[in-house]
This record gives sequence, C-alpha cells and structure tokens, in this order.
Amino acid sequence: MINMKNALTLLLLIIFSGSVAAQSTIEVGKKAPEITMTKADGTSFALSTLKGKIVLIDFWATWCAPCVEEQPELKTFYDTYSEQVKNNKFEILGISLDKNKESWQKAIDRFNIQWIQISDLKFWKSPVAKLYEIDELPFNIIIDGQGTILAKNLHGKELEEFLKKTLNQN
Amino acid sequence: MDPALLASRIEKHKTKDLVIISVGPEAIIKGSVDIGPTHEPENLEKLRNYLKDIPKNREIVIYCGCCPFVKCPNIRPAFALLMEMGFKNAKLLNLPKNIKTDWLDKDYPTND
Repeated sequence: MINMKNALTLLLLIIFSGSVAAQSTIEVGKKAPEITMTKADGTSFALSTLKGKIVLIDFWATWCAPCVEEQPELKTFYDTYSEQVKNNKFEILGISLDKNKESWQKAIDRFNIQWIQISDLKFWKSPVAKLYEIDELPFNIIIDGQGTILAKNLHGKELEEFLKKTLNQN
Repeated sequence: MDPALLASRIEKHKTKDLVIISVGPEAIIKGSVDIGPTHEPENLEKLRNYLKDIPKNREIVIYCGCCPFVKCPNIRPAFALLMEMGFKNAKLLNLPKNIKTDWLDKDYPTND
C-alpha cells in the first residue's frame, strides 16, 4: 500500500510539474526575463539598462536567411523613429544566436546596424533560447518601459503598424 | 534519412561507413564534419575539396537545420554538388523544422 501511495504521489508530482513547465512565461502582459550578454566590442550589456524605453528585441542570426532579410526593415524603423531613440523612448536590441563572431560582425557592418547588438555566440545552446522559449528564428518581442511584454513575434506590416501606434503615442 | 535512425546508428557506433556533413551554421551532430553554410561559394568549394577523396559509393548524410527546408539556402547547393560529383548514396537528413526541435530537443548525440 505504501508503495502504491508513493507511486501515486510521484505520478501526481510528474503531472503537476509537467503542467507548470508547459506554462509559457513569454506572453503579452508578462515581464521579460533579464538578459545579460556581450556586445561585439566585448563589453557586457544588460536588458534592464533599457528601463523606461519601448524596446523591440529581435532574436536573429546571420545563418537564418529570413532574419537577415528583415534587417533592412529594422533599419528603416530605427531611422523612422530616430527622434524617439534620441529622446530615450525607443530602442532596438538585436540578440544574435550566431556561433561565429566573424559572421556576426560582418553582418553588423554590412547592414550598418546602429542599434544595440549582443550575443553569447552559443548558437541554439544559448540559455536565452530556452529562457525566451524560442523554437525558431526570426523571433521578436516588444516590451514597455517597465519590461512588460506588449507584443510577441510581429513581422512585416503588423510590426510596422504596432510600432506606429505605440511610438506615436509617446 | 530520419533523425531517429541516424541518432540510433550513432549511439550504436554503426557509423563507420557513414560520412555525416554539416552544411549549415554548426556541426551539432556527433561525428559530423563542419563545412559551413554552403550558400557561400567558398564553403561549397570547401565541400568539393572534402568530397574529392571519398569513394562515390560511400553513404553520405548532409544536414543544415537552420530553418525549414523551403527556406534553407544551404541544402540545395550542397545536394546538387553531391549529385554533380556522382555520389550514389547521398542522403539528406530530414530536419523539417530545424536542428533545435528535430535534434537538440530530442537529446540526440551531439559533438560536445
């Protein structure tokens, strides 16, 4: 009987922990977890230092063709909202799942990326992929000044409209 | 080739006659050779060089896993080269989504 009871407890524990694990933490309305990584120049950077700004966090990699295609579009946003960037209202944070530093640096130069770029150069093994529940790239989220997620995985026209609506209010 | 089959062959050390080649961002799979993304001409040349001394009837499996096949820029040039060079037993590893979901998340053997 004791064994039965133990087995039942164990079973319940497995079911319970499973349901906890299945709950997504990266959803609109939830807080974006802290990210600390290195910039291409070797200095450390933390997401929390962008507190107070609307931030578009773009998860990408130079090996991901659709991500690379999106970079000129992000550049257009960065130019369009340059006033908001200057006034500390808006920022883009590029987080690369690259593995090769040279490829990463080359892409930053090629697209003349002016926004913040960080990476741990760990490819899919980067802890951030797990933390942000990323299964495929490109992936992005938009957070407000308090770090609350406002939108998840918007691209193209949807992203454009969302930024327009959100940033023109500020 | 199905990833589960390749994983089980690696686990059973039945890969002696098999050449596993990564033509994508990283040679994640245990025992695979890192050629680099073959949409870049220099990496395609690297693949050509690597293959030149390998017998044409050797079983070869290539994989990328950057993204779903329809979007992958690396698989097609690599496979076309294998065909052009006359490899008769070349296969593509079936990673429908990417190397993360179809290999790493399944805890299949990796290079580290």
